[in-house]
Amino acid sequence: MSDRLRAVYGQLLAVLFALAIGAIIILMVDESPVKVFMTLLRGAFGDQAKIAGTLLQTTPILICGVAACIGLRGGMFNVGIEGQLFLGGFAAAWVGFALPLPAGVHMLVGLAVATLAGAAWVAIPAFFRARYNTNEVVSTILSNYVAVLLTSYFTIFLFKRPGGWSETPPILPTAYLPELFSFSRLNWGLVIGLVLALSVAWFFRYTSKGYSISMVGSAPKFAEYGGVNVKRQGFLVLLVSGAVGGLAGGVETLGVHHRFMEGFAPGFGFDGLIAALLANGSPIGTIVTALFFGALRSGSLLLEVETTASREIITVIQALIILSVSAQVLMKRRGDSTAGERRWKF
Amino acid sequence: MKKIISKCIFAGAALVASVSLACAQDKVSVAAISGYFAQGFGVSIVNGLNKAKTDFGIDLKLVDTGNRALDYEEQFANLAKDGKYDLIFVMGWELVDALQKASAAYPNQRFVFIDGVLDSDKMIYANFAEEQGSFIAGALAGMIESKGSAFDKIGDGKAIGFVGGRDIPVIRNFLGGYEQGSKYAAPDITVKPVFAGTFDDPAKGSELTQALYNEGADIVYNVAGPTGEGVMQASAAADKYSIGVDIDMCSTAPGNVLGSMLKRGDIAVYSLIKDEVEGHKVMPGTRTFDLASGGVELKVCDDIAPKIPEEVKAKLDEIRKGIVDGSIKVAKAK
Repeated sequence: MSDRLRAVYGQLLAVLFALAIGAIIILMVDESPVKVFMTLLRGAFGDQAKIAGTLLQTTPILICGVAACIGLRGGMFNVGIEGQLFLGGFAAAWVGFALPLPAGVHMLVGLAVATLAGAAWVAIPAFFRARYNTNEVVSTILSNYVAVLLTSYFTIFLFKRPGGWSETPPILPTAYLPELFSFSRLNWGLVIGLVLALSVAWFFRYTSKGYSISMVGSAPKFAEYGGVNVKRQGFLVLLVSGAVGGLAGGVETLGVHHRFMEGFAPGFGFDGLIAALLANGSPIGTIVTALFFGALRSGSLLLEVETTASREIITVIQALIILSVSAQVLMKRRGDSTAGERRWKF
Repeated sequence: MKKIISKCIFAGAALVASVSLACAQDKVSVAAISGYFAQGFGVSIVNGLNKAKTDFGIDLKLVDTGNRALDYEEQFANLAKDGKYDLIFVMGWELVDALQKASAAYPNQRFVFIDGVLDSDKMIYANFAEEQGSFIAGALAGMIESKGSAFDKIGDGKAIGFVGGRDIPVIRNFLGGYEQGSKYAAPDITVKPVFAGTFDDPAKGSELTQALYNEGADIVYNVAGPTGEGVMQASAAADKYSIGVDIDMCSTAPGNVLGSMLKRGDIAVYSLIKDEVEGHKVMPGTRTFDLASGGVELKVCDDIAPKIPEEVKAKLDEIRKGIVDGSIKVAKAK
């Protein structure tokens, strides 16, 4: 069996294992697992609106997943995507309501500013990583809290819409990311995500720069010996990863919410990271895993309404997947330490 | 549905005709959707719903929204699409946007928005006169604070505090009533309000409360949902006073809680469902639950009540009567 096939097989096994444990838990709350899983399926793919709903949920997970992939491939564990998403979302919304521009241009400027905001936010941990070799896992995690609270501050104290919920004024329609269909909020963000995933995959496979980044990710000492400026490249990898994280936030505010609400999209950064890990850092694989998580989330919304099981059951399943994937890595690492290193540099 | 029909046929065959007549009417189905059923006001609503379920045998479905704004619209659509529920209770201002869209998309679905009034005239609003209950809370806090060191645990700061969750209209309304009440009963006391900016951060609630105590406010009114758990804890830790909200919170910090401003979500949902079950179809419009109807009230904690001077108690009763008969007007916050 080739390595790639074995990896796919391992991840599938992890998912099946999680679903099996999930089924046992469902039995424990006196609900039928068959009914629950069928409702999940119906909720995710039951009709065209449901399919669009699944893709709508998939979009932020996919874009955050691509952001994580870029980091993972370059040997950088960007756990700060959540924060980059919040800042990107806020920045795009700000452009949307405060900066009147012609249609089309407005939206593009919004997305560009979101991207810049994400990159700027990760620049601090990236700088310390490059300059002082600070562990980027810790610093990016911590930057999440600051980002979420900072955007809360902006929203509540500086830009709050008078009356109503803690949210900014609505963005101007010129900044809307157009919807794809009339029956759903699904928008061009999905297309952006797909194009992004494909081009990142192409970049890593066919360009020498992509190769050199992968080299740094898998064997930094070797890459350095080969003449790659590892520190500079690590810095850039984090910057690009953060930029894509910011873009994810911009897509959410310009495409779906049309304003920024305090605490508007909790957890997508982490969902994206999990999707990327489950896909072993492959952007194409991330399309599949993001769709899987999107379908779970979308299906769970119907699950909550139509069965007695809680929507949170999918959070449990997601957590079980993470556990079993990590267990695999640990087991593999025992046999072949370099393979373990290559996958996650904890 | 089939089950109900077959049951009814059975009942009709076995029992008198009146039973089958009752069965012929559709059973009332009610759903409730919120992200905050596990806390304060949400608990009160769930209690009312469960009581209605026991008393009237209604179908009841509780839906937890979680906290992702992306999910709300689909959740409303999933609930409303079959027209299965006669009434859908909605609690939480974060759901307003999705609610308005759902109400436009499913015009025949009756939604009950709990805790405020929106622009649309298609919905039913359960509106609470929280400003009236808060007026009494403010009057009590003001009068106790103005006793100074004559009252246990009170300093000479001449101030009372307020910790709000988010800066939204309903919380402003609490604050407005609290300020008016304090001014009415104890004009020399100032009110120091702060907003946590979140309903989900007890640590922040505790910090803010401690800061208010340090500034000389000895009594802090908690209007902050789960954030407010921190307010209650801080009052115990600093051995000062707090006032709870929504449900009876006297047991959270015995000896340090003066009272609780009860907002009877249970009474509101129960009475709406009762009307529906008894055949008075609930129609769009605003139902106000105020001091007179028992929708809001200030409950002084049992362990504190004996310490409160008689003239304060008399004054509180006088205020209560004044609000009910209209001689004291409590303004709503704009």
